[in-house]
Amino acid sequence: MEGMFAIGAGIAVAVGALGGGIGMGSLGGKAMESIARQPEVADQVRTLLFITLAFIETLTIYGLLIAFMLVGKIG
Amino acid sequence: MIFALELPIYDPLFTIADKLPVPDLIVTEWAIILIIGLFAYFSTRKMERVPRGLQNAFEMIVQWTFDFFGQLLGESVAKKWTPLLSTFFLFILVSNYSGLIPGAGTIDGFKAPTSDWNVTATLAIIVFFTVQVAGFREHKLGYFGNFIKPTPLMLPLNLLEEVVRPLSLTLRLFGNVFGEEMIVGMLLMMVPFLIPMPLMALGLLTGAIQAIVFTILSSSYIAGATGEGH
Repeated sequence: MEGMFAIGAGIAVAVGALGGGIGMGSLGGKAMESIARQPEVADQVRTLLFITLAFIETLTIYGLLIAFMLVGKIG
Repeated sequence: MIFALELPIYDPLFTIADKLPVPDLIVTEWAIILIIGLFAYFSTRKMERVPRGLQNAFEMIVQWTFDFFGQLLGESVAKKWTPLLSTFFLFILVSNYSGLIPGAGTIDGFKAPTSDWNVTATLAIIVFFTVQVAGFREHKLGYFGNFIKPTPLMLPLNLLEEVVRPLSLTLRLFGNVFGEEMIVGMLLMMVPFLIPMPLMALGLLTGAIQAIVFTILSSSYIAGATGEGH
């Protein structure tokens, strides 16, 4: 049973990080593109970029929290 | 019951009048309030027309936050709610950074307040009520019309949205700070020196970003409640 908790914790972090990573990658790439195209809006893009990154990160963090809760059940 | 949230059991640092337990993070909160208060007091004690030093720094913070929220909320609404939002920003920022000071979490009476459910939930609940009050003040009884727009069928969803907002605010702030601390702690167990340093440097960044994100989200909720479209 405890092994299942460990596997679950691993999956929670892995899947959460997978989706978040893909999202952050495409977001960062698009932000770079737009800054390269229009360097004068760099400041605005940067602010929005960080806010949106924080949103995506939150979803990953949910997975991390679940993993911590599961790890707390082991042993 | 795997997913039931367990209420953390605190060993209180001391008890007031044998009834009111005071855990570590409350003491840290007092210290943070004292630090911010003292800074504010000393920077505004001798106000000058041409600001220097501390007064300059504080005027910059006030000006910057006011401009920032003014863009999101509009001048008149921003004037009412900027003090609260700026306070959130300063408090969360200092709380997040207090977790990076050596000894946080191990010394009695010293623990980063935002790395706990209860503190972030408190902040989020304050935001929840602020949004309702702001909307009610701006539109009076018409504010409750928001909940049946565009059709009364949307009422349950709109109510659900209001309830989910503080929950997500709580989890975002708590998860980021707590997760960061846990990861640094685990690395410290594996490698005692130097290796956790880049992560702690990242913590400086995320601490500031989370403080900004919390305030931006609160202000956008207030903007949603007070705005014309609603």
